[in-house]
Formats: sequence, structure tokens, C-alpha cells
Amino acid sequence: MEFPIFLWLIIIPLVASPLIYLSGHLGSRRIAQWTSLAVLLVTWIPFGFAAAELQNTDFLSYTYGGISLRFDGLSLLLSAVALGLGTMVVIFSGPYMSKEANQEKFYAMLIAMVGVMIGLGCAHDLFNLWIWFEAMAITSYLLVAFYRELPLSLEAGVKYLLQSAAGSVLVLLGISLVLAQTGTLDLTEIRQAESSPWLLAAGATFLIGFGVKTALVPLHTWLPDAHSMAPSGISAMLSGVVIEAGLIAMLRSLGALADVTAWWGPFLMIFGVLNMMIGNLMALRQKQVKRLLAYSSLTHVGYMLVGLGVALYLGVFNGAQGGAFHLFNHGVMKGLAFLAAGSLLYTLHIASGDHHPLLISDLNGASKRYPLVALTFSLAVLGLGGIPPLSGFMSKWQIFISGFESHDIWIELLVLFAAINSVFSLAYYAPMINALYRLEPSETVVKGNRMPGTMKIPLVVLAILVIVIGLWPGLMNWLTIPAGTALVNMF
Amino acid sequence: MASWLILSVIVLPWVGGLCVWRLGDKKPGLQHALASIFAVLGGVLAVALLPFASSSSVVEIPLGGPFGSFTLIPDGLGVYLTIIASVVGCLAVIFSNDYMKGEAQLGRYYSLVLLFIGAMSGLVLSGSLLFMFIFWEITAFCSYALISFHNDDPKAVAGGIKALILTQVGGIGLLIGALITYSYLGTYQIPDFIENAHMIPVNVLGFIAFGFLIAAAAKSAQLPFQTWLPDAMEAPTPISALIHAATMVNAGVYLLARFFPAFESVPGWTSAVMLVGMLSALMAGIMAVVANDLKRTLAYSTISQLGYMVYAIGCGAVFASQFHLMSHSVFKALLFLGAGAVIHTVGTRDMREMGGLGKLMPFTRLVFIIGAAGLAGIPIANGFFSKELLLEGGMVGGPFWAYLVMLLVAGITAFYSLRMVWMVFYGEAQNKAHFHDAPSRMRISLFLLALGTLLTWLLVGPFSELLANTLPFHEIHAASTITFIVEILTAPATWVALAIVAAGLALWLMRDRITGLARILKPLGTIAEKSFGFEWINQQIIRGTQRIAEGLRRTQTGQLNWNVVGIVGGLVIVLIVLAWGI
Amino acid sequence: MNFSPVDIMIFGVICLLGVGFYTLLFKRNLIKLVIALQILVKGVMLAIIGAGLISNRINLAQSLVITVIVADTIVAVIGMALAVQVRRQLGTLDVAELSKLRG
Repeated sequence: MEFPIFLWLIIIPLVASPLIYLSGHLGSRRIAQWTSLAVLLVTWIPFGFAAAELQNTDFLSYTYGGISLRFDGLSLLLSAVALGLGTMVVIFSGPYMSKEANQEKFYAMLIAMVGVMIGLGCAHDLFNLWIWFEAMAITSYLLVAFYRELPLSLEAGVKYLLQSAAGSVLVLLGISLVLAQTGTLDLTEIRQAESSPWLLAAGATFLIGFGVKTALVPLHTWLPDAHSMAPSGISAMLSGVVIEAGLIAMLRSLGALADVTAWWGPFLMIFGVLNMMIGNLMALRQKQVKRLLAYSSLTHVGYMLVGLGVALYLGVFNGAQGGAFHLFNHGVMKGLAFLAAGSLLYTLHIASGDHHPLLISDLNGASKRYPLVALTFSLAVLGLGGIPPLSGFMSKWQIFISGFESHDIWIELLVLFAAINSVFSLAYYAPMINALYRLEPSETVVKGNRMPGTMKIPLVVLAILVIVIGLWPGLMNWLTIPAGTALVNMF
Repeated sequence: MASWLILSVIVLPWVGGLCVWRLGDKKPGLQHALASIFAVLGGVLAVALLPFASSSSVVEIPLGGPFGSFTLIPDGLGVYLTIIASVVGCLAVIFSNDYMKGEAQLGRYYSLVLLFIGAMSGLVLSGSLLFMFIFWEITAFCSYALISFHNDDPKAVAGGIKALILTQVGGIGLLIGALITYSYLGTYQIPDFIENAHMIPVNVLGFIAFGFLIAAAAKSAQLPFQTWLPDAMEAPTPISALIHAATMVNAGVYLLARFFPAFESVPGWTSAVMLVGMLSALMAGIMAVVANDLKRTLAYSTISQLGYMVYAIGCGAVFASQFHLMSHSVFKALLFLGAGAVIHTVGTRDMREMGGLGKLMPFTRLVFIIGAAGLAGIPIANGFFSKELLLEGGMVGGPFWAYLVMLLVAGITAFYSLRMVWMVFYGEAQNKAHFHDAPSRMRISLFLLALGTLLTWLLVGPFSELLANTLPFHEIHAASTITFIVEILTAPATWVALAIVAAGLALWLMRDRITGLARILKPLGTIAEKSFGFEWINQQIIRGTQRIAEGLRRTQTGQLNWNVVGIVGGLVIVLIVLAWGI
Repeated sequence: MNFSPVDIMIFGVICLLGVGFYTLLFKRNLIKLVIALQILVKGVMLAIIGAGLISNRINLAQSLVITVIVADTIVAVIGMALAVQVRRQLGTLDVAELSKLRG
């Protein structure tokens, strides 16, 4: 059978996932980890081919019976982030999960999640979109509640499951409305249909239903709990990719309804404002590092929404490219931040056997004993705060430019608000850096264990990415321009 | 050739910083030496830029898309500020060899200082608004990191974060200006902007102009953003000398000077600039009179002198402001380093615990007095010439009442300068311990800066030529040094100003006999001590935000049912908005 | 009054969704909440079938519903498993007790 190259991106991880589970179950845990790493590395090969092809065409497609898959710029973006972060997390989780039982389930679910997310990116009709979305949710439920002996972890998992499932139900409701009204679920065909109030209602349910997963405020309440209680590699995946996958699913479905109303763009911008504000204000008062980073994810989703909202509303290309660029950069920076915090969490707590959360006061003086972690964490957090010449600044700048290209005074005020929020976020990022570089170590640091070498690899790789992309933002043009084009074409 | 030179002026200190950091903190002696070598090299390279000064860009690297091109233009304004940054930077690093002896985390210290020096050069040499903003942000970051260098001291950390937030908030003004420029003209290039500024509708240009003013006021610690500079004094003193006296705080004045031709036609802008400068100069001057912390006094005096420069730009005397900037960088760095030598030995910053140090530290006393002479505007030092030129420009270009206020501030400046010198070096020794004078490396920097204070005024002629030749949009009149000096010495305004300065000095010497006046002015002093209410405003903003954030936490109830309310409620609201909007 | 099948379906959908959301909003027993999710999904499935009827795409609707059944069973199983764990570790099924993570 002639498979287009991008299909392998989905097939390899999905097929490998049960194999990894079996190999881990029957063999040793190490086999599970190494197999997963091998699987992901192999998946990069078709990714490279697909990326190269996409530079010349707008999209690649494949249809099998009723299923139609289309690989365009957005799919490329999502695959890049999913594969990239996935590889880093697999390397990172080797030592991190080494003391846990059920490791083979962890790796199997992780690889499945990567495959499923790539599938989500390629979906071209609502049926497909929902299935991949639900599959992603299912794999993430298991991963969030991984520490099933811990009451707090269970609590986070339960709330996440119930809320996310409620969101899925709303999406399905929207699908039924679309089906009733237009008789089709294919994204391009829906576009041809005429406007009607049912489609408006469907759009609202898509916005809210996918919005639960994207953590739009006020649908975000599951996020701080889930992201702080999950194993740190999963926190990185959740903040770095899963939220973004939800965002892309939302954009796809709203794209099909783009001709129904011009309100989708403004909605995104309004939610962006709420996210930025709530994310920043809540993060300010946090004492736990991972919870703080979770709230900061809310803020960054806000920036993305602003860029994308401008692109949707006015067709400004910089907004689309900037939003896509920030999606990538946020994945890298937030992933780095969570992995660095996770390595500290590991050496200071988990390796000693306790499951206390990592507090900001635990960070005191960590730079002396763990200089690499301190440095990479500071880089990640400075990038998130928008300090040049790191990558976070570049993508935020592009979003700001797009706002001003609109020449619309309200959008320009929105950009001003976003810039103020960006400055404000330094108020809670900077104290963590200061704590790290203290001379007097905290008690937890004194009692800390040795940092495993393998954990440092993903930190270094991601940190280099943050710096290099900041100095040379054009490096990611092969990724962001197709994504931006796909977005603008959708609307 | 010029492009390599200009790039290395920026990049070489960065390479040096990287090297010092990688060297590791186990070899402090080597770190000191390596940092000094790179700093000196940077200074030499900066001076070597002089013959290449031109008004066209020397480096051009296009970055594509919304990022424009990275360009560097070595015009007079940029080159002389680069020289100041690199040379004073090199002297501060040499001074740090002794000041930071025995301190931990030297790698972090020197790498941040060198990163700063390179970034500052980049800021003033940049020909692209975007990259000027980028370097602006990098210097703000270095400033924050160095202020809070002693992370274990909560005051230092608080001071650093405060400086970061305040200067970043101001930076938003620059950000908005750059964004508007790009969206109207399609380019970030500064010469293009200045040339085509009249093509932008005036009210939009006004936004850019006032945005830049806000950014400049925040960076140069002018009203209403001045509260961060006194708290920034928690930094190690060589940092206070380099960043908060001689270089970074000048960035705001630089910004106003460079963009003056573009904005001078915006209604109300020049008046606003002049007012900001004048009020800052006056208020800070009064605050310096009642301050008891040596470094805080110097901080207030920095705000005050920067106020002079801003005032001058508002009155159209751009050259005078730059000349005073040159003098100020030298004598203020000298004063801070001298203060550093004192603080390093005595162990305290409170002037009330000093006194009588002149006998024990004759060298430091001498150089400090030279610096104070520059500050007060006494004829042997460069401050005299530059301040007089500035006041003349103010008299001609601005309203007369503003000129009178600035004259008054000159008197106040003389008063607190002498007060500072007296409290530290003369009078009764409050502390009977035995103190030693400045060690050798410190003396090198102090000596060179003192020499500079006595001599830089001779450069006014060539300086004016440099600026006139390389700044096509400003209207700078070049003249020889002799012409300037004669003009300054023969103007009657000069003699009036000198009389005021003498009066200020005399007032201090007669302080015991003017107790009546002192009692009348006491309430003013109390208000000044509370920084005229600005610190209170800061505290209220911080407390308010914290309270809102804390209150907001109650929305995260942890109760699943409430979370679902959020979801359902969100849906309902979206539906309502859609129904109503259609 | 003549009700067409579609009208009855719409009525059913509204009832099921209503019951489901009511339980999610007001009930605290974890088992009830998981069941409420199931009720919601059944309601939506009914809606999908109704939509298929209205637009004459009943085959598409049927395949979608079957897939939804599969996916949703998995979610139900995971939900119940979590509920069992919660009972074991925390000794309660009251969601109000599960609110240590707040603020």
C-alpha cells in the first residue's frame, strides 16, 4: 500500500506503544525506556521528509474510506513540538521514573500520546478530530494520575478527568449540531455551508469544549492541579504540547465555521486578556514552583490567543506566524522549565523517597550544588519573561507587531496590555532566579542527592534551542511560515 | 575594517564574560586578571572607533520578516558614549579587583559586568529601533542581576526586582514607539525614522514621542520613576559607579538626544521634557540635602544632574546636555568609586558614622574633593564648564522661571556636595578605628578618573566637531575649544551662577549660624526624606496588586462543582454574547 | 399533537443533558459524577443520531456513535478505576473532600 510519508508519523508511535508495554512487562523496565527512545528517534525520519515536502506544497493528504487526513503547516508544527518534547521527556524520565513501578505503562502511554497528538494535527474532519482528541485525553488521564498512591495526585486526576470529559461532551454536541445543519463533517465541506444559528451554537460549544483542554479562563481550573501533580516529564508535555493540541483542535473546528461569524477572532482575544491577567495574578502568590509554572502557562496561552485572534480577525500574517512561533517557543521554554524544576524535584525529594512538592524556598542556594540546572532554569524563566536575546522575546515581538499592523486602536491597546503583563510576569520569575543564586543553601539542598547525568542532556539541548532561536529567529521559519500560511488559509 | 571593529567593541566583552565564567570560581586571581584584560581591550577598541565615526551604518545583517535588519551606526553620539561605557567600565573592573577581593561567585559578577558593557555599546551604536530595544532590555537585566548580586540580602533582591520592573515598565514606552514606527514606516532604521518622522500623523507621532519620554524617564530615574535608583545602591559600589552613574542611566538622556529632531515639533513634548528634567533636578537635589547614606546622596545627585541634562534637551540645547553627560560620567564615577573606597574600609554607608577620615585617607580625600568640585561646578573641574554651558542654553531656549529654578538647584548642589565631603572627611571622627587608604588597584582607577575630571573639558571643541559632522539631523554648531571656553567665561550668566555656587558653599560653612533658616526648612526636609510621596505610591501599587492576587486565589476553590460551573457558565456567556452580537 | 421522531429525540437529548449537567454541578458522590458523564455522552449520542436523521447521513452518524461508545467506555473505566483508588486511599467518595489543592 502506498502510504504518504506523513502517515508513518502517526503509525510508528501508535503501533509501538503496545509493543513497548509488552516488552516492559515481559522484559525489564530499561527495555521499555530504550525502546521508546528508539521509536521516537525513528519517527524523526519521516518527520524530516514531511517537513521538506511541505516547503513546496501547501499540504499533503491521504484518504481511506471515510477518513481523510491532511498534513499541513499546523500539523507540522504540532508534530515538531510533540516529537521534540516527547524525545526530551523520554530521555529525562529514565532516571526520574527509575524508582517507580508500572514504568512500562508510563512509556507506552507517553509514546501513544505523542502518536495521537500527531494524528490530531492531521485530522481533516470533525469525526477524526474528536477521536484523536479523545484518545489524547485518555492517555493523559492515565499519565496525570500516575502516582496512584498519592491522594493529591488522585485528586488532580479525578478533577482533570471529569472536567476534560465534560469538555469532550460539549465538542460532540457541537459536532451533532454541525451534522444536523450541514450533513457533513469534513472541514472543507462545512465551509461551503450557509450560516445559521445552529452553527453559531456549534462554534460556541467548540470554543468551550476544546477550550477546557486549552485552559481558557474560566475553564482552566483543572490546570494548576494536574500540571503540578503529574510526574515532571508529563507536566512538561501537558504544558508544552497538550494545551497547544487543544488550541489547534479549536482552531481547526472554528476554521470550518469561519464564514458563520467574524466573532471568533475577538473571542480569542478576549479570552487572551482573561488568561494573561488571571495567569499572572495567580502565579504571583504561588509558593510551589510547579504550580507557579502551571499558572504561567495560562499567561502564555493568553499571548498565543492574542496573536491568533488578530490573525483570525484581520488576516494579519504576522499574527499567525507569531502565534505559531510562540506555540513552539513556549513548548521549548516551558518544557525546559518543568524539566529543570523536575530534576531539582527528583534530586531533592523523589530520590530520597518523599513526594513533597518543590517549594520556591527549596531553591535557595541550589546553584552551587547544581549549577547546570540553575542556569538552564534561569534561562527558561527569563525566556518566558520575554528578556532578549532569548527566543520568548522574539515570538512575543512578532505577536506585538501583528497587533500594531492592524492599525486598530483597541487591538493596539490589547498589545499594550500584553506588554505590561509580560513585564509583570518578571515579578514572579525573577525571585526564583535570585533564590537559586543565593550563597546560603536551603536545608533541602544540603540533603539533596546527586543529579543523574542523563537528566542533564534534555536540559542542555532545550537551553541551547532557547538561546539559538532567540539570536536567530529565522531559523524556525521552515516551521512557522507553513503554519502561519495554513492558519490564514483556514480563515 | 570599521565593521569588524564595531562588532568587536560589542562582542569582545561578551567573549570575556564567557571566559571568566567558564574559568570557574576556584581561581579568583585569574578571574580578576582576565576580566581586567578584556575590559581594557574593550576600552582600547572603543577609543579606536573614533577615526571611523560616520553617519552611515557600518554593519547590516538582515534578519527578515518582522525583525528588520541589525545595523550599527558609529556616529558621534554613539561613539562617545561607547568610549565612556568601555573606559569607565574598564576602570570599574580594575577597581573591582580590590573591592570584590574575597567575594564568592566572581564568575557571575564579572560575566554580568562584561555582558553589560557590550550591551551598552550595542545600545548606543544600534541603528535599528528593535535592536536598540533589545540591548535596552539586556542592560536592564544586567542591572537587575548586579543590584541583587548579594542574593542573600533581601534588600538587595528587592532593590533589584524594583529596578527591573520600573525600568521595564518604562521600556514599554520604547516598545510601543518601535511598534508604531514599524507599522507606519515599515522599517526600524533610526535615520529613516528621523528623516521621515514628519510623514507620520502628528497625534501618532505624539504617542511615539511621549512613549520614548516615559522610557527615558524610567531609565534615567527621572520623575515619576526615580524611586528605583536610590534602592539600587544595594549593588556593589563599582556597579553603582558604572551602571547607575556613568552608563545605563545615561541611556535615557541618549534616547532623548538622538530623537530630538524627530520629536521637537510635537506639541508639548519639549515642554514636558523640560519640566520632567527640572522637577527631577529640584526634588532630587532637596532629597540629597537630607540624606545620610553616602551612596544614596550620590544617587540623588545623579538623578539631579540627569535632570539638568533632560532639562537642557527640553530647551533645545542638545550639545550642552551631551557635554554635561560626558563630564558627569567622569566625575560621578569618580565620586562613586571614591565612596566605594571609603565604604570598603569603614564598613558602613552611613555618613553620620564617618568623619575625620581625611587624615587617614588623604589620597581618597583628594580625589573625592576633585569629584565634588565637578559636581558643584567649581572652575577647576569639568563640571563647571559643562554646567555653565548648559545653563546658558537653558536661559536661551527655555522659560526664564525654569532657568531660575535650575540656578537654585546649582546652589543646592554646591551645598550638599560640600556637606558630603565634610561629613565624610572632615570634622570629628565618629569611629575611632584605624582605617587604611585605598589599595593600589583602586588608586589606579581613582587617579585616572580624577585626571579626567580635571581635563575632559578641554575636549569640548573636537567633541562638538565630532557631533556636528556625524549627526545630520541635529543642528549642532561646531567650534574650537577656545571659542567655547571664552564664551563660557565671558557670559554674565556664568558669573551669576558662580555666585550662587559660592553662596551654596558658604551656606554650609555657616550652617551653625543659620539655625533659623534650618528650622523653617525642616518640614521640607521631612517630606524630602519620604521622597515626596513617590515611594508611598510605589508601596500602594505593590500592596494593592498583592491583595488583588491573593483575593483572586479564592476562585481556585478546589471544588469540582465550582469548576464545572466555570465550564457551563463560560458556555452560557459565549452563547449570550453570540446571540446578542448577531 | 403530532411528535415526529426527531422532536422526541430532541426532547430526550435535552433531558439527558440536563440531568447530566445538573449532577455535575450539584452532586458530590464521585460514582454519581462518573455516571453523570455517561448520561451526558448518551444524550450526545442521541443528538448525533438525530442529526444523522435530519441531514440524511445516518451511516456517518452510526459510525461516529459506535466510535464514541468505544472511547467513552474507556473513559468510564478509567473514571471508575480512579474512583476505586480514591476510595482506597482517601476513604471517601465525596468530591468536596477532594479539595486540598486550591489557591
